Amino acid sequence: MNDIKIMKNLKPEYNKSLIYARLGFDKKRTGLSGPMRDEAEKLIKKAENTLNLTGAYRIMNLDRIDPPKVILEDGTVLSGVRLAELMKDCDQAIIMLATGGSKIMELINRLQEEGRMSEAVIIDAAASEITDSVLDMVMLHVNQMLRSKGRVLTKMRFSPGYGDFDLEQQRELYRLMNGEAFGITLNEACLLIPEKSVLAIAGISGNRPK
Amino acid sequence: MTKKEFKKLFNNRIVLLDGGMGTLLQKAGMPDGVCPEKWSSINSDLLTDIQKAYIQAGSQIIYTATFGANPIKLSEYGLSEETFDLNKTLAEIARKASEVSMTKTLIAGDISSCGSLLVPFGSIEFEEAVENFKTQIKGLLAGGVDLFVIETMMDLQEARAAIIAVKELCDLPVMVTMTYEGRRTLMGSDPVSALVTLQSLGADAVGCNCSAGPAEMVDIIRQMKPYAKVPLIAKPNAGKPRLENGRTVFDMDPESFASYAEVLVEAGANALGGCCGTTPEHIRKVAEAVTCLKPVKHERKPYSLACSNRKTVMIHTTLPFAVIGERLNPTGKKALKEALISGDMDYVSDLAREQVEAGAMLLDVNAGVPGINEKETLVNMVNTVCNAVDAPILIDTSNAEALEQVLRIYPGRAVINSISGEKAKIEKILPLAKKYGAMFVLLPVDDSGVPETAEERIEIIKDVYEKARKLGFTKEDILVDGLVMTIASNAESALETLKVITWCKNRFKANTTIGLSNVSFGLPSREQINSAFLSMAVACGLTSAILNPNNRQMMQSVKATDALTARDKNALAYIGQYSDQDDSAQNSAKTGKKTSKTLYEAIINGDAASIEDLARQALISGKPPRLIMDDELIPAIQKVGELYESKKYFLPQLIRGAEAMEKAMAVISPELEKDSGNISGNKGTIVIATVKGDVHDIGKNIVAMLLRNYGFKVIDLGKDVESSRIIETAKANNADIIALSALMTTTMNQMPKVMSVMKEEGLACEMMVGGAVLDSNFAGSFGAHYTNDAYKAVKLAESLINQSKNGG
Repeated sequence: MNDIKIMKNLKPEYNKSLIYARLGFDKKRTGLSGPMRDEAEKLIKKAENTLNLTGAYRIMNLDRIDPPKVILEDGTVLSGVRLAELMKDCDQAIIMLATGGSKIMELINRLQEEGRMSEAVIIDAAASEITDSVLDMVMLHVNQMLRSKGRVLTKMRFSPGYGDFDLEQQRELYRLMNGEAFGITLNEACLLIPEKSVLAIAGISGNRPK
Repeated sequence: MTKKEFKKLFNNRIVLLDGGMGTLLQKAGMPDGVCPEKWSSINSDLLTDIQKAYIQAGSQIIYTATFGANPIKLSEYGLSEETFDLNKTLAEIARKASEVSMTKTLIAGDISSCGSLLVPFGSIEFEEAVENFKTQIKGLLAGGVDLFVIETMMDLQEARAAIIAVKELCDLPVMVTMTYEGRRTLMGSDPVSALVTLQSLGADAVGCNCSAGPAEMVDIIRQMKPYAKVPLIAKPNAGKPRLENGRTVFDMDPESFASYAEVLVEAGANALGGCCGTTPEHIRKVAEAVTCLKPVKHERKPYSLACSNRKTVMIHTTLPFAVIGERLNPTGKKALKEALISGDMDYVSDLAREQVEAGAMLLDVNAGVPGINEKETLVNMVNTVCNAVDAPILIDTSNAEALEQVLRIYPGRAVINSISGEKAKIEKILPLAKKYGAMFVLLPVDDSGVPETAEERIEIIKDVYEKARKLGFTKEDILVDGLVMTIASNAESALETLKVITWCKNRFKANTTIGLSNVSFGLPSREQINSAFLSMAVACGLTSAILNPNNRQMMQSVKATDALTARDKNALAYIGQYSDQDDSAQNSAKTGKKTSKTLYEAIINGDAASIEDLARQALISGKPPRLIMDDELIPAIQKVGELYESKKYFLPQLIRGAEAMEKAMAVISPELEKDSGNISGNKGTIVIATVKGDVHDIGKNIVAMLLRNYGFKVIDLGKDVESSRIIETAKANNADIIALSALMTTTMNQMPKVMSVMKEEGLACEMMVGGAVLDSNFAGSFGAHYTNDAYKAVKLAESLINQSKNGG
């Protein structure tokens, strides 16, 4: 697992309007009073402060693509029609992980227990969005590293549960990223715990490395 | 080349740098996957040809082909042992290109990222990074480079490590360009904070390269220009990369690329070049475009600039007053002292956040606890503060060793608190401020003690400044401490401080600070004295103060004096902060929310603070509880639902309405029960759960809350619930509906299982389901009803129960 590169203490740039969108905010129609907007902003900031964001990735060679199967160098088989399509010009894959740590879920659960559901729902949406943006950061970082080698990442990434890249395949990505080392467990239904954790895969193409 | 000669190079002209190297090496035959530095050193003629082409195109400075030639990066190819030799050879090759071109070209030793992240983002320690770069720099120096360029840096701290490495080995000029992903570098630095940090640390030119095309770089240069003391560099890519037949291609042709030269120069660039995808032809076109262009003259803002790696604070008499948080100083603070002794950095982190949230723009950090390792503790505190907040810091210590350690690792431009006229401080600490480019607080005391009069203090200020000026400091680099002593022991002391501040503003033209609370030491009601003195000092021109930002009265004084002294133009910040507060309603002022006048209004506004009182008042007025429900509560929650449905409210507003409703019901229900014997006019019983294996329950909890609001009896079984328990509960309570939630594809299949047991058991109830991955087709496939949001779930439940009552 020495191939896994870790990025800690991250403060990713994120798109706040996506947090509002997760909460059903409609730019043209939703009216927010000043105090409500202030409160939402404070809660987003609180989520940001409570998250302990870590990103990680490893780059693996692709053995072959046999749609819908994508077979990695170590024999790991992933399957998904759109995943295979995404990887079609690639010779390597990048497996990524992002986690916001356990404190954020403790906060969300405590707020719910105290009946402060409106606060919980904003923090929950913010935590999801911000954790997701860690993967954007990982991809930007890797792209920058690849650029000088004439290589580039696919624009999109897929997480298990997307289309026919089913959630069961979370097990494979979890194993490849050694999720346990990041304090993440995988339950029988293939859910990551703490919940604000995400795994994903993207492809790398361009000039072939030796 | 001396730094002076380098500076002169930019006099009245635009300096031309070189362009991309990687793609040209590939075109020259470099195979995929090899170490470019090693290959270039072996195929030196091909490299010389490329560099010659750049010189012929007009490049006045060419970079050595040593982008990745640091030991950590070379280790990817098993070549770290060759670092010195490779760098020396590649520098010599560049020199040869210059010589054969018969053109006087400068050779810049190229340094870039080691490819691994530094602490705190990764595992490379700061000193390890410095040593890594030093190995490379030694090779480049042996190869005879004229200057250095540190380029394509994503992390300001790594750029700092490289600058320190250069400075500790030679006096050659050094240019630094960061790479920006939009508005910030990947690790979060904005262009101004990067500029301030780098130019203070000794970079002789600063700018940006790679990632963006020329159009995107215009704004980055424009942002930096008002604060730049050094020439600015723009070295963009030839547009955005795209893939063609498995190869990365940059599309922007030389003419289009060069068409941005004028705009970049207008924005403030002093040097232009190209990065990925650019060729000698691109540089030739830029050379033609800049022939008639001169660098723009600009007036640099006379602000004192301190920054973290993510944020710059500007201090000046025309800008809003800078509050420096005082609470990270353990003197007289038992809890902080204990936290520092036990190493409880969470406490430090909380204190940092609390102060910044209350309005502190900078934070004073002090680890002066007797008996602890000050250096270690101070470093821990500073690392913690950097991680918790964006505010820059004042390093409050007289321990030179601890100070140097923090200055070395602080990823921005810190302020040293303080340097006085004492000989030891001048000798030890002023050179540290110089080496690391820090600002400092100038404390007007000397070896003979604390002068009582303003005149004596002014003499010390002049003397210390003169010594600092000789080292290259300007007045913008200092904050003069007005030196506040308590008026309890000397009635004139506050007036003497005000004289110093006035002199600094009107004559000396330097920014000022004070440790505010000293003024009232030993007096009762200290807040009033502090607050009054602060207003007086600001009126005299004080630009910052170390105070407790969590003291409301003090912060109100700050905001008010900013408005009164026109630092807050048109009082916009003041109005923004206080316009929601109503003096006549202290209670609501605390929360910034308006008090609702009726129960209906309170639910619409989600006003949980007022609703219980309003519900009690409604009962006291003698209105029957049933009428309170029917006339006010139910219409209000229905209205909230409509507002949500029409997207005039977003989800938190819907929930806040429901929360207010719940509070009102808690007051009304007991009376309703006495009145009618029926707690809530039960519309029906619903057993709700998140299915087995699924741990996401926030959506289910919202639905449960709303269903209760709308008069259903809800039995919430929680998350990860076994099918058998759901069925047993539904049976025991004669439920009308079983409501299930599942967020994932792996757990949604539990739903049909519950349905099949339900049928086997002969339960007559309906099933409604919801969750991110479900749809009506899936629900319909096993006879359940689907809903995709909380309010629609209420509507669905009402309709299912009505159908059942009507025999549907």
